[in-house]
Amino acid sequence: MPSGSKVLKLAAVALLAVAVLAFPSIAPNPYILSAGVLVVYYAVLATSWNFVGGFTGYISLGHGALAGLGAYSTGILVAKAGLPPFLALAAAGAFVGLLAVPIGLAALRVRGASFVIVSISLVLILLLVFQSWSSVTGGSRGLVVPRPFQLTRPEHHRIFYFLFAGLLALAVLAWWLIDRSRFGLGLKSIREDEDKAEALGTATYAYKLIVFVVSAVFTALAGGLYALWFGDLDPVFQFSILTGSYLVLMALLGGVRQLFGPVVGALIVGIALEFFKVEYGDTPLHLVATGLLLALVVLFMPDGVLPAIADLIKRFGRSDRTSIREVSAAELREQRLQNAGGTK
Amino acid sequence: MTLETTGLSKAFGGVTALDGASVSFHQGEVNALIGPNGSGKTTYFNCVTGMIKPDGGTVSYQGRDLTGKAPHRIARAGIGRTFQLCRTFPRMTALENVLSAVPPTGLIGGLRSARGRAEIERAMGWLTRLGIEHLAGSEARDLSWGQQKLLELAGVLMAEPETVLLDEPAGGVNPALLDRIGVLIRELNAEGRTFVIVEHNMDLVMSISDHIVVFDRGRPIAEGPPSQIRTDERVLGAYLGV
Ligand SMILES: Nc1ncnc2c1ncn2[C@@H]1O[C@H](COP(=O)(O)OP(=O)(O)O)[C@@H](O)[C@H]1O
Ligand SMILES: [Mg+2]
Repeated sequence: MPSGSKVLKLAAVALLAVAVLAFPSIAPNPYILSAGVLVVYYAVLATSWNFVGGFTGYISLGHGALAGLGAYSTGILVAKAGLPPFLALAAAGAFVGLLAVPIGLAALRVRGASFVIVSISLVLILLLVFQSWSSVTGGSRGLVVPRPFQLTRPEHHRIFYFLFAGLLALAVLAWWLIDRSRFGLGLKSIREDEDKAEALGTATYAYKLIVFVVSAVFTALAGGLYALWFGDLDPVFQFSILTGSYLVLMALLGGVRQLFGPVVGALIVGIALEFFKVEYGDTPLHLVATGLLLALVVLFMPDGVLPAIADLIKRFGRSDRTSIREVSAAELREQRLQNAGGTK
Repeated sequence: MTLETTGLSKAFGGVTALDGASVSFHQGEVNALIGPNGSGKTTYFNCVTGMIKPDGGTVSYQGRDLTGKAPHRIARAGIGRTFQLCRTFPRMTALENVLSAVPPTGLIGGLRSARGRAEIERAMGWLTRLGIEHLAGSEARDLSWGQQKLLELAGVLMAEPETVLLDEPAGGVNPALLDRIGVLIRELNAEGRTFVIVEHNMDLVMSISDHIVVFDRGRPIAEGPPSQIRTDERVLGAYLGV
């Protein structure tokens, strides 16, 4: 017997699915449609990022590089090795998954700010490699990836919109499965207190590594799909810290503890980015805006918009309960202060 | 055939926290580890449970060498511990806190629901036994200090360790709870669990321990039953500084 909130949640998910699927039919022109593709692409990336960020609390700024690896692997396998596009995509996903093992082994040794820095260096190293290894990657001139379908531009966007939406559904499903599993509980205990989790018998290093690989595979698949869609890869855009920062912003904004948090965040940030580009062109202004927004979110909505909205609804629904909770929280704080004094 | 260390040593910079500590605890008993502040008791626990790598010496448990093993392996070998400053998972409910103490093994086990009926029943059993079942749905950060200490203990017990290391279980708790914790430790010991307890409350230590080890400056200076330790001159000296 499903509870009221469960029904509400299912209805919301169904509504979201319908909205996502209906978008290509109501998009007024190919430009809006292509912006839609980009937003769904971001939604996949942010959701993929959230396997690591949301469950374990490790903030990676390097996921742009994993997407870039997926894109270049796919592109090279199609353009240079002549593999069928979707076979190349699958191979790229597997390859980046394998590569994620040594990367994860190295990066997940350190925590907190050190991990952030290691993840940044991953991007910088790969950028250098791909810029200088020009015989294979096209260097700074870029790599042209042949289109998989001979279609008109709008049709091309339409198909890729649905491909990205399918990948998004897979990623969301996988996140949901882990979220409710015992493995997921172990990951969340790492987020809460890694040493304590170890002391309770959780193999934290292995846990982090597994979820990092899962995250890398989804990220690489999204990147590979992007290569097939966009058809032109430039190392500067593929291996950019900015992409990684956008993903962090999206996930944090939407809510990293929420299944659909990164999707909602991608919707908001993705649309905002497109708007900025149209209004102001490619200026460093959107960098400033991104930084500002990130600071605002971290300061005022540390749990993201989704929980903030849920809180708001609850507050209006039963204002009496919240007040009781607040009183007892104040009491608790006092009690704790006394206790802290008492142990001395 | 018990928890045993030989020559365990650890220095932090210039500070010697453990100075070749060779200790052997009694299986099936309530052991106490006492000593002045800074005598290395917590560091000893950290070395035994793998949280800190000792500079030298060995740790063995029931004949197995555990020196330098990862903490989760030591936990799975049957040694559970609490922390001096009480560590729970703040943004998990009390029930989830206890449930996360039985990590799955293997892929299939890992993908099973975290809320399996059998596990929930067992977890609720521990919460009930510690008298905090009414808080099962509350986040740990909303619990009082005493409740958090009970919750941490419930989590440790959920993993069914044969040996339990408690770092100051009575630290900062009220007298009524203190009594309950004492009774609980004796009960759990009667069911076959070995305890090693670091504690400053001498009334509690003397009333529940079978065997006491006294640390001073990173090594044991005396050991024996409470009656003997109470009158030991070296112990009095270490505590009173004479
Ligand atoms: N992580 C650490 N870094 C530096 N010094 C430490 C650390 N942990 C403990 N010490 C030092 O080691 C000594 C023993 O500390 P500890 O094991 O906490 O003693 P106890 O638990 O008996 O009070 C103290 O001098 C303490 O300051
Ligand atoms: Mg201590």
